[in-house]
Parts: sequence; structure tokens; C-alpha cells
Amino acid sequence: MRHLKWLSVLFIAVLVLSGCNGFTKGDSAKKDKQAEGEDGKVVLDFWTFWGSEIRRPVVEKIVEDFNKSQDKIEVKHTFVPWGDIWTKELASIAAGSPPDVVINDINATALRGEKKQAENLSKYLEKDDISGNFYEELWNATLYEGDSYGIPFNTDTRVLFYNKDAFKEAGLDPEQPPKTWDELWEFAEKLDVKNGDKYDRMGFYPLFGAGTDVWMLNADKVNFIDENDEVKINTPEKLDTLKWLKSWHDKYGDNNINSWQSQMESQQGNPFFSGDLGMLVQQPTFFTQIRDYAPDLNFGVALLPEKEPGNGNTSWGGGFVAEIPYGAKHPDESWEFIKYLTDKEAQEYWAVKNFDNVANKEAAETAAESDEFSEDGKMVYGLAVEAMPHTMLTPTPVVAPDFPTLINPEFDNVYLGKKTPEQALEDAEKKVQKLIDQNK
Amino acid sequence: MAGRKRFNYKTREGLQGYLFILPWIIGFLVFTAGPLLFSFAASFTNYNITSQMDFIGLKNYEKLFADDQLFWTSLYNTLYFVVFSVPITTVGAIVLSALLNRDIPGMRFFRTVYYLPAVLSGVGVYLLWMQLLEPGTGLVNTVLAWFGIAGPNWLFDPDWAKPALIFMKLWSVGGGMLLYLASMQGISKSLYEAAEIDGANAWQQFIRITVPMITPVIFFDVVTSLIGGFQIFQEAYVMSNGEGGPVNSLLFYNLYMWKKAFEAFDMGYAMAMSWILFIIVFVLTIINLKLAPKWVHYEGGGK
Repeated sequence: MRHLKWLSVLFIAVLVLSGCNGFTKGDSAKKDKQAEGEDGKVVLDFWTFWGSEIRRPVVEKIVEDFNKSQDKIEVKHTFVPWGDIWTKELASIAAGSPPDVVINDINATALRGEKKQAENLSKYLEKDDISGNFYEELWNATLYEGDSYGIPFNTDTRVLFYNKDAFKEAGLDPEQPPKTWDELWEFAEKLDVKNGDKYDRMGFYPLFGAGTDVWMLNADKVNFIDENDEVKINTPEKLDTLKWLKSWHDKYGDNNINSWQSQMESQQGNPFFSGDLGMLVQQPTFFTQIRDYAPDLNFGVALLPEKEPGNGNTSWGGGFVAEIPYGAKHPDESWEFIKYLTDKEAQEYWAVKNFDNVANKEAAETAAESDEFSEDGKMVYGLAVEAMPHTMLTPTPVVAPDFPTLINPEFDNVYLGKKTPEQALEDAEKKVQKLIDQNK
Repeated sequence: MAGRKRFNYKTREGLQGYLFILPWIIGFLVFTAGPLLFSFAASFTNYNITSQMDFIGLKNYEKLFADDQLFWTSLYNTLYFVVFSVPITTVGAIVLSALLNRDIPGMRFFRTVYYLPAVLSGVGVYLLWMQLLEPGTGLVNTVLAWFGIAGPNWLFDPDWAKPALIFMKLWSVGGGMLLYLASMQGISKSLYEAAEIDGANAWQQFIRITVPMITPVIFFDVVTSLIGGFQIFQEAYVMSNGEGGPVNSLLFYNLYMWKKAFEAFDMGYAMAMSWILFIIVFVLTIINLKLAPKWVHYEGGGK
């Protein structure tokens, strides 16, 4: 009996101890050691979600170049998967030991400023004002009450890709892409090749590469919640847009749209590559897929068509900023690194190697001329740069950050035929207004 | 040794029991109890993780019940999922394990095959199912088309999105199947022999012997899958790109809570939501435990 007792005590002691084993190598101990560096250098922890075989070497080369360019700071790149990076960052900010620089969503930068998740960069900007280096719309998205909380890094926009061979076949001029919404419809009708209820070739469906919100922005250049926190959902322009989109939906019908949509998502099988889709709205980086999967495709690119002549080819984009999480230990050094990251040289390298839009204007314009791009590459990148001044962002409104959950179902209801566009916009406007009132 | 007589048998047995669950108790106190109490306290504040935490009384709870525009939607979606998925997966697992509880050649192979999906888990499986459920090119609708059935738009149709998820859950009944199979193999052969002599057919044997004998496992399965069902999150998060699906048909309770916590950064509110869910699940589990003696049969015990 006595033996048994001791045995069980021993057993449990072992269990408890093995459970505690995790403590011996704490993260914080490792970090402190790192932060000093070998030769008195300040070591910075830089978090990104760029772990792919294309992006990772590019970002690590930039980090390496920075480390070589000076002898006071050493940056270490940490890849954190897309699904984890910002929740992890948030937890580390709350715990008081955040990374030194992190790449984050540009649209919610003001929100993070308001919630004190990111450091206010104004004191650095007073000394060296780099705000003029970036597209204005991008810069403005980083501001909360006039102060910047992140520096724009990369961005994107939406442009119209079209199949030149299909244009010729349909009797259209391959050098004249559609300029207005009416032309889009007209061209699509000509490009359509019907086969019973189905389509052998679909001309164009506006919601394949862009959301309802993109077309609404294209129509009136006003966000759902404008900069004065006023709800601008139930407006005549947005109603027009929703009706127009609904007419496209009715034209092709649920079944065709759904089955094409799913092909769209599988990369190689994209009907645009096989010539079965005449026109498609996509990000400029879509070119890299054409290059890899359909190198022989004879295609062109154009700015997003405008609602009416003179209305403007407004497009929509997003992007990422480099920022200093609130409470980071070496903000001065972090700032130095961010400056390097968003300066011309690093930005141009990123742009050319990834075929990605960058926030630095000069870098974007130089990249467009790069010898590393093919003819088609230059054409697409050049147009992307041309589209940037027309590109609007949709910054997360501080008064109602999660409002899309309320309005997207209303749009769904319209396409499903469960609500009229008028009713849907009226309901959406009411719901968002209510959310704002609740949050006050 | 007078000292050893200090504890009688029952007390000693109790103490030993506690000793054995001590690791769990320590883990609970150190890692779980703290955050649990913190979330309860913070549910009465406007906590946003980084910059504010002011006491606001019951405001979060009032807002949830009276004013929230998606609370009831998300609760409805979750209840819908639980009400259908728990019985269907339970019955599915029992039927499957009954089929696999036979002595025919190659049975090991089938058992392995049916258990395999339970081993695979996580995001990869959901992405796979998104492909299978694609309306135009997916395997599910392709097979349905062989029989002349025009398959629904599954994840794109608000009426079919939740059934699609429940259907997907059926694929991984292997986990439950394993438990039932083990339990069925523990049933004494003599019971079946006696029944056979009395002229009972296979169905009667299944209903009168097999099912009652595995009720403890059914009970365990129902309780755990009920709790798990209320916590559904990943499936909806991955398969709707974090959006909540068409017309918010996949906006489950936990997905909505996640959005409040990490998109709106209204952590206090999200914590209040989590406590409401806790109470719902707690009450249902208590009911389950109270009902258990009426239908759960423990072999050789009056317990």
C-alpha cells in the first residue's frame, strides 16, 4: 500500500514537471538576448506574411540590403502566416512585447491608430517628411485625426483585361476597349456566344473580379461611410449601379454565373485564358498568371470603364503599410528601417521582382520602364501606374468597422431576386446608420 | 501504524482520485481559470485589447439582446447547424459502425478507409470540400447529374449553404465510428446467441441489444458533439472567406464573435457574447446529464 502511494505521487510529480517544461525556453528571454545583438547593434524583429517562394526571397533581400547599408541596426525577418499575423501581433501588443515593424492592412490603419495598436509617426515625419513620395489616396488612408500611423508599402488597383482575338472575331476593334458602361454591355453582347441556355463564350460579367462596392465607387467616388461619418449608401448613383449590376446578373442567370465563377477560382482553368471569357476585371498582378498559364494569349488592358463619358475611370484598390506596433522597444531604429523599406530603391526592387504595385510614386514609374519586364509586362504595369491616380481605397470607418457584414447580405438579396434594389439600399442604409448610432 | 487508519477506504479512494486528476486541475487553474474570470469581468467593460477598459455595467448584454442586428441571425444559424448535424452525425456513425462490425474478409481495409477522413482535418479539408461542392464543376454535382439530379448551388445559395456544411460533417463520422465500434465489440456474444435462439431477427437484435449496450457511448458522443457544434467557426471562416456566406447564412455565433473581437476590436462585447454561449451550452449539458439516467444503460451497475 505504501509503495503504491509513493509511486502515484512520483508519477504525478513527473506529469506536472513535464507539463512545466515549456517554461524553460521562454520567448521573452530569447528576445532580450536578440535585441542586444552581437556587436552592439540593435536587432529589430520584422513581421510579414510573405512566405511564398516568390515573395519571401524578395523581402529577405531587401532586409539584407538594409543590414549591409549601415552598421547600427540589424533586422531579422519573421514570416507569420496570413491567418495569424495580426491576431498574434495584437496579443503581443497587449502583452507589451510586440515586434518592431509589422506589415499590416492599409485600410484599417486609422482604426489601429485610434485603438492605440500602432505608434503615431508624426514626430518622425516632422523631421523627415516623406509623405509626398506616395500616392495621395494611399497616404490619406494612413491618417487618423491628421496623424499617420503607417507608411504605405504596396498597393493594387482594378483594371480591365480583354481578349484581342475574341474582339476581332466579334467584329470589334482590338485596339478600342470599352470606355463606358454602355459600351461594356454592347461589346459583351457582341462577344457572347450562346449555346442553348449555356454560353460557349461569355462577353463580360462585372462581378467576376470586382465586388458591388467597386462599381458603386466607380459611379460616384463616395465610400459607403464618407469621411464625415455620414452614411452614403442609398444614393441615386449607387441605386443606378445596383440596377445595372442586377441587369447583368439577369442576363446570364444564376447557373451560368456560378459555374463560371468556380472555374475562375481555379487558376489554370480560368476561362479568360482559354478565350471563353471576353473581358475580365482583375488586379494588374493577374498578368503573372497569364504569363505562367496562357503565354500565347493575345490580350489588352484598359482602365475601368466609366459610368458615363466624363464621369471618371475610378477604380478600387487596397494595400499594406509598414508600421511600428504600439509599445515597440526601438521605435527610432524601426523608423529608419521603414524609411528604407518605402524608399525608391527597395520599392522598385519589390515592384520589378514581384510584378506588384508599389506605393512610392517614383519607384512605380521607374519600374514601369524596367528591362526585366516583357512587352506585355510593360504594357500592364504601365497601365497600372496610369490607373493609380484614379484608384480609391475604402478605409475602415472608425465609427462602424464591421459594417460590411450588414450590407453585403442586402446586395446578395438583390441578385437572388429577394429584394428590389431600392428596398435593399434603403435597408442597408438604415442598418449601417443604426450600427453607427450604437457605437457612439 | 495508527496513522494509516486515519483515512477510511472511501476517503482514501477519493484522495487518490484527486491526485490523478491533479495535472488537469493545475492546468485549469494556471492556464484556463484566469482568462475565464478575466473574460467574465471584461464583458462588463468596453475593453478593446489595447487602449480602453472602462466599466459600463450590463450595457454589452443589453445591446446584444435588444439592439444587435446580427446576434439572433448568428444564433439561429448555429442552432440550425446543431439541431441537424448532431443527430445526423450520431446516427451516421452508429449505422456505419454496425456495418463495419462484421466478420467478413477485408473488413480491416474498410474500417481504415472510413476512419481516414477523421485523421485529416483543418483548412486543407475545407478547401477540398469547396472544390467538391462547386456548383458547375464539383464532384458532388457531377455525381448527382449522373442520376439526373440538378445539384444546388451549395455554398453560393443561402438555403443550401448550411446543409452543405452539415453534409460535409458527415464525411468525418469516422471518429465517432471508432468509439461505437470499440463499444460494439465489447458486447458479449452470448446475448446475441440467446436472442437468436429466441428467434429474434437482425433488426430486433440491433435495436434490443446493440443500441442499449452502446448508450453510454451515444451519450458521450451526443454531449461532446453538441458542445463542439455550438463552437463551429473554422468551417464557416474558411469556406466563406471570413465573410459569413451568402446573405449571412454562414454567419455562425463564433464567427460573428470573432468579427466583433478582431475586426471591430470590441473585445468586451465579444466576451459578453462568449458568456451567453457558455450559458446556453451549460444549460443544455445539464439537461443532457439529467435526462441521461432515463435512457443510458450502464452494464452491471445501478449507476
